[in-house]
Amino acid sequence: MQEHVLELSRVSKHYGKFTAVDDISFAIPTGSIYGFLGPNGAGKTTTIRMILDILKPDMGSINILGESCALNVRHRIGYLPEEKGLYKKMRVWAIISYFATLKGMDKKTAKSRAFELLERYGLKDYAEAKVESLSKGMGQKVQVLSAVAHRPELVILDEPFSGLDPVNQEVLEQLIQDMARDGQTVIFSTHIMQHAERLCDRMLLIAKGQKIFDGTLADAHAIIPRRVTLECQGDISAVVKSADILGVIERFPDVPTRTTGSRLWELQIKEQADPQKILQCCFEHNIALTRFDYTQPSLHDVFVHLVGSEAREHSLR
Amino acid sequence: MRMIRLIAMREFAENVKTKGFWAGILLFPLILGGVFFFQTMLAESTPTRHYLLVDQSGQYGEAVDAAIRQEHQRRILQAFVEYVLEYRREANPEQTPARANAQIDQLIDDVGADEVAALDQWLESGGLDFALVLAIPYLREDAPAFIPPREQFVLAALPEGVNAQGDPEQVIEQLRPWLTGERPLIVDGQSSNLFALILIPAQVDGAIVRPGAAALAPSAMRNGIQYWASNLTDTRLPNAIERSINSTIRNNEFLDRGVDVQVVRNVQRTRMPLSRLDPRKDEGQEAVSVADTFRQWAPVGFVYLMFISLMQSVQYLLSNTIEEKSNRIIEVLLASVTPLELMMGKLFGIGLSGITTIVAWLLSFFLFIALYPGTETELIGQFFNVLLSSDLIPYFIFYFLAGYALYAGIFLAIGSLCNTLKEAQSLMMPMMMILIAPLVTMTFIAQDPNGPIARIMSWIPLFTPFTMMNRAAAEPPLFDVIGTTIVLLLTIALVLWLSGKIFRQGVLRTGQPPRIVEILRMLSHKQ
Repeated sequence: MQEHVLELSRVSKHYGKFTAVDDISFAIPTGSIYGFLGPNGAGKTTTIRMILDILKPDMGSINILGESCALNVRHRIGYLPEEKGLYKKMRVWAIISYFATLKGMDKKTAKSRAFELLERYGLKDYAEAKVESLSKGMGQKVQVLSAVAHRPELVILDEPFSGLDPVNQEVLEQLIQDMARDGQTVIFSTHIMQHAERLCDRMLLIAKGQKIFDGTLADAHAIIPRRVTLECQGDISAVVKSADILGVIERFPDVPTRTTGSRLWELQIKEQADPQKILQCCFEHNIALTRFDYTQPSLHDVFVHLVGSEAREHSLR
Repeated sequence: MRMIRLIAMREFAENVKTKGFWAGILLFPLILGGVFFFQTMLAESTPTRHYLLVDQSGQYGEAVDAAIRQEHQRRILQAFVEYVLEYRREANPEQTPARANAQIDQLIDDVGADEVAALDQWLESGGLDFALVLAIPYLREDAPAFIPPREQFVLAALPEGVNAQGDPEQVIEQLRPWLTGERPLIVDGQSSNLFALILIPAQVDGAIVRPGAAALAPSAMRNGIQYWASNLTDTRLPNAIERSINSTIRNNEFLDRGVDVQVVRNVQRTRMPLSRLDPRKDEGQEAVSVADTFRQWAPVGFVYLMFISLMQSVQYLLSNTIEEKSNRIIEVLLASVTPLELMMGKLFGIGLSGITTIVAWLLSFFLFIALYPGTETELIGQFFNVLLSSDLIPYFIFYFLAGYALYAGIFLAIGSLCNTLKEAQSLMMPMMMILIAPLVTMTFIAQDPNGPIARIMSWIPLFTPFTMMNRAAAEPPLFDVIGTTIVLLLTIALVLWLSGKIFRQGVLRTGQPPRIVEILRMLSHKQ
């Protein structure tokens, strides 16, 4: 088995003067869950469409499952597009089975596989229902199932969580983890960081068509310095002298409502620094703490940190 | 190929499940059955119509009576001919003396050739009674008794208190309430409506128009026979009266001039047969029969069938592509199959359902003929045999498939460019205009199948399937047949190739339908 199921090298796509994807390269290791993160309009869908050979890149090359063209290996790929839709008049099992047969499964296997999936993911009672009678969320689950029914080696899900309620989001997370356990590689795009944080082995962050970050969750966390938040009265200069501290920001310095006279500080600490030592240091210098927080920066923070200004600018356009 | 089959089968299965498909299939037999049912029902249900006759001249009342009797006899004759055609035994010289059968045949032929003469003959030889005696031995054993049609026009007595001898205007004035239906007419104790009033003024002879005389003033026209009726559509009665009275007047004229009326009659019934011959047929078979005429016109029916079926199929193709586009199903499909496979799958699937519709129509037509006995259906059945034995069917199959491929390619491309049916409508308009053209020229081309317009239209690929089908019975020049076929096939290949290009790029488009420039760019796009 090859090491990478998918490799993009220097891929670009332009629509007229607009550059949708700009010189992106990355590789996805076999068997991983890979997150495609980025603000709206970042180029995630365009990248996915190029990977699937629905769109042709203007430049660069794509290697998917050892082939340069996804059409040659399309039976080994499962795809859920961003905008969801199904044939309204078809029955639920029939549509799953139909898409599986289009991926090369024979009719009988496809039918039994459809019922198996519907049972496992809580849609057994709807197997004979028509798609038009389903709620939006259920329809979306059906579509996810129809994308993966043929047990593809590579599963590409474009915004699979959007429109699902929390319970069904969990079901979907379960499905993704099930597939990863079976050795399938899963790529999904999202702008909800919690899912990526919980599921992804690796992730790619793109904005304005450019790659901003590619790496593991730990790599991502390392981008933003870790922070300790202190709330106390008086001076903290003694603590700040410590070698572990990279910088200090006072939060809300102008807020007069802090009647207690306490001030809020945010200390950025070094990667290897031990927050316990800082706490100890505070005690040693008799700083009366009313609050001491040590938090790992969330992926959300990393995301905002990396694309924040751009994303805001984009949304105002 | 497997993908194309899978897609085609799904399209077919889904199409067959729609209400529109069944409506299309059932509509044809329903209309066919309905037409015949209502025709029979209407013919039987026309009420007896009462009329009044006021003959102030005292000369023509008898002629009016005769006219109405003759009209009734005409209906009996028609009904009788239908009856004989339906229940006659198969012609078998051993069972039936040839002469009598020939007499019946003669009667049927005469009615077909010259109904007026046949009617005279019929009345002279004794009418229905004689004909029944003549025919009964040659009818099948299970033939029911002949029921002559009811009398349709019955003379009613003048309502009480009406003075028929006054000035014509006064007579009309008195009878007006009955004529407008305000007052019912009492006939045999039953209430009925007055259908018509025939008034013959006393000085009616002064109104006779003779050749060479100056045209009459409008006021003098009123001196002629007046036919009053609020029903303006049923013209059988006034026509029959006019014919009969004219015939009486002419007889009087003959008498005045000392001409023997019988001689005149015989002269009038003299006729020279004209046989229509077709030079393309074998010797001895040149006579043009009804079936030949039908064969000549049958292509018009085929063009119409083709038009309806094509319209149905391409519309479905269009709305179906738009559904997939607006639902974004297309993207999933394109991750599994190539655009070309998708397009061909749709083309075959919908084409198959179009063919199913046509076959269902033809089958119901057959069933109808088999189950609905009657002279009309027997006649249609004969035509059908003519049709099946002719080479029109292969023409139809070829041109239907070619036309379908051509238009389906175009409509698929249109569908791939639009997100809603509303958007598609503006792009469809020009196509619809083009599709209407063969329908408009259909009758004209059947009359002049190898004329310049027919030939020119044959060479325009969008019209070729329709026009060549239209001309099929007239054996168009081989050059036209082969030449247009080559042009048509090349065009289909080109259209499918180009619409494949548009389809590939169009299906993933969102937003407004493209402008012409963008479509041209798509066409020139290299892939």
